[in-house]
Parts: sequence; C-alpha cells; structure tokens
Amino acid sequence: MRQNTELKTTFFITAVAVSARLGFVLKEAKNISLEAMNAKALVARAGENVRTFKPITDYMVELANDTIRLVDDINREALGISKASLIALRGNEAVNHFNGAKQKAGNAIYRDSFEPALRSAEKDLHSYQQNLLRNVRRLNELLEEIESRMLAANVVTSTSRLEAATVSKLYRANFEAIVAKFEQAAKNIRAIVRECRKVLNSK
Amino acid sequence: MQTVKLFECATHEWIVFGRDPDKGEKIVDTNQYLIKTAREAVLLDPGGIELFSSMLASVVHYLPVEQITHLFASHQDPDIISSLGLWDKTLPHATLHAPWIWEGFLRHYGCNNITYKPIADEGGTFKMDGIELDFIPAHYMHSSGNFSVYDPVSKILFSGDVGGGLNGADDPLFVEDFDKHIKQIKTFHQRWMPSERAKQAWLNRVRKLDIDLLCPQHGAIYQGKDIERFLDWLEDLEVGTALRLS
Ligand SMILES: [Fe+2]
Ligand SMILES: [Fe+2]
Repeated sequence: MRQNTELKTTFFITAVAVSARLGFVLKEAKNISLEAMNAKALVARAGENVRTFKPITDYMVELANDTIRLVDDINREALGISKASLIALRGNEAVNHFNGAKQKAGNAIYRDSFEPALRSAEKDLHSYQQNLLRNVRRLNELLEEIESRMLAANVVTSTSRLEAATVSKLYRANFEAIVAKFEQAAKNIRAIVRECRKVLNSK
Repeated sequence: MQTVKLFECATHEWIVFGRDPDKGEKIVDTNQYLIKTAREAVLLDPGGIELFSSMLASVVHYLPVEQITHLFASHQDPDIISSLGLWDKTLPHATLHAPWIWEGFLRHYGCNNITYKPIADEGGTFKMDGIELDFIPAHYMHSSGNFSVYDPVSKILFSGDVGGGLNGADDPLFVEDFDKHIKQIKTFHQRWMPSERAKQAWLNRVRKLDIDLLCPQHGAIYQGKDIERFLDWLEDLEVGTALRLS
C-alpha cells in the first residue's frame, strides 16, 4: 500500500523514495565488506590450503567498494532528479497559468501580446522535461550497473561454495558461513535495486 | 474580473482590477491598479499567483503586455506579489520597485529577469514617461517595510492594506455606506496594523495630501467626504490589539 502511494506521486518524491532505499543497499554493501574482512583474516590464518580463496575475498572487497561508490553516484543523481523534477513542475505550472490567461482573455484587443511569453514558457518546459528524462536515464543506468554486479556476485558465490567444500574441515563451516552471508547480502541488494527501478519507472 | 477606469487625463489613466470571480473561496480578494501613460505602465501590487491568469487576461484589454515597464510592490505579502515569478517570465525587461528590506525575500518568488529597484526607507519620487508618483513611507502599516503611492495629478492615494478589509467577492468596489463599510474593516485594522506610532506617522503624512480617491489593496475605494471620515476613524481606532493577549 505504502509503495503504491509512492509510485503514483510525482518524480521529485520518487527520487526521494529511491534515495531512502539506497540506505539499505549501503548497509548491505558494508556487510559484504565486513564479511570480506572476516574471510581475509580466515585466509591468513588457514594459510596455504585455502589459498584459492584469496582472489574471492579480494573480489568481495572490490564489489563492496564499487557498490558504495555507485550508491554515492545514485544519491547524487537522485538529488538531480528531485531538482529537475521541481523545475519541470514549476515550468508546467507557468504554462498552465499562461494558457489560463489566454482562455480568459477572450477577445481582448491585445490578447496576442503575451504569446511570446507563453511560447518561451513552453520551450523552457520542454527543455526541463528533457533534462529530467536524461537524469532518469542516468539513474536507471546506475541502478542497472549495481544489479549486474550483483548477478556477477552470484557466479562468484557458486565458485566460492565449491572452494569452501574443498578446504579442511577445520575451516569449512566458517567459509561456508561467509559465503552464505555474502550471497544473502548480494541477494538483498538486488531486491532493493529492483524495487528502486520499479519505483523509478512507474510514473 | 471587474475593471473600472478611475481617472483619465492627457498624460495618464488609472484602472482598478478586482473581485476576480475565478479565485478560490478561501483566497483573500485584492485590488490591483494599473497606471498607464502613452508608452509605459506600472502595475501597483500585481497580486497573488492564483490571480495571475485573470490579471494578465484583464490588462490585455487595455494595453499590450510589454507596455508594462514597471511593477510596484507595497510590501512582501503573497497577496501583493506572489505572482512575481510569472511576471518575471512575462515582462523580463520590467523593473520592480519595492521596499529595500524585502529584496532577499521577494526573490524567493522568482525574480531572475526583472530588475529589482529597492525603495529607500524615506520613499521618493518615481518618474515614468512624463508622470511623477510619490512613494510615501507607510512602514508598519502593516508591514515593516511598506509604502503608499500618491499621484498629485489624479489626486489618487494608493494606500495598500490601509483602508482595506477582508471583504466578500461581491462587495461594491466603492464605499457606498460608510457606517456599514467601516464595521467590516475594523478587525482588519485592529489586528493587522501593529503600531499606534506608525499609524500616527502615516496619518500625519497622508493628511498633508490633497486626495480625491483613497484606493486600498483590499475592499472598497473611498471618495469625497468618506476619505476624511476614514482617516478620523483610523486615528481614533486602537490598533495592535493582539498585544492585549500578552
Ligand atoms: Fe499585507
Ligand atoms: Fe493585502
């Protein structure tokens, strides 16, 4: 229900809704980062027999950092959308006011004298809308990027799981737990990002 | 919207616009005044954003819109000038004359193209296409930066909120029955006007003027003996009554 209301409201609110959800992505990305640190410590302790796990933990760290960076970019873009959307909204109101005057002016002798103002308000509105569309497109691309990274994370999870099965019993449970947490965090991020895109693309 | 030509001579005309039938019920009714010469025009207290389309539609019965070269805002209230952002798009080359203290505030309404010409506290004379108008200090009546406008040729005093009231949409444009009218504007003056000293200062200034029409931004226009009666009534009225609460 709550989401439905968000979907129907204007873009500047949509952008805020996306921004708010990004907080959760950030939290999950930090979880990944933490798990990666745990894994790194474990790799150091376990030594030679878990050496194949090293590139995986590096990848986890990289993924977490990239995601945090992307969230930053998305937040900036969402703020841009908020601003662009408010400008477009005001532009739209201006056009409505001028059109209202045109209607009310009836057969006024100088009724055409504000035509240039109306034309320029329409032109402004068009360019505001173009800007807004550009912003939305960029935001979509950024969200897509996070999503595709999380898909790649899936592949890594499968590999890690295979690797975890090969390490000595002493560490196996630990590695498996790390992999499970990583997998869950990636899954959560994907879900949030999908929701963001849904909010963004339903006007 | 009702429009009445208040004055006409070789150099200029005064036209009042008011009682917009399209405005929302809860929006206070306002009077807008246009002073038009052969080549230029000034709009006094152009009105709120909700009124803009009606105002624009009304003025083009009298002049091509670009002939409005000046706007005047007596003070910062939304019913006075929240339409500024739209006039800014309509008249990018116009000049807005308004109290200096409100510049940073009025720009919130949108003033990217129009030139803001601050009026100093002591007021002054404004010249336009051969006519002269006096900006008369009316500070704290009610706004802390506020001006009336006097035209010595037409003997019209635009008094802003002074003399106005929260009248209905079909009240007459001119005071018809003074005693009945004054009852309708009493609360407005007692509550909106904050200072006895300010009231007296304004009265002292205005009583020196030769006035044929006293034109407020709300309500009905005073003429003839009603002008003196109104000034006397205001002099006797206790203002700033909300202070009784403290
Ligand atoms: Fe006011
Ligand atoms: Fe007012």
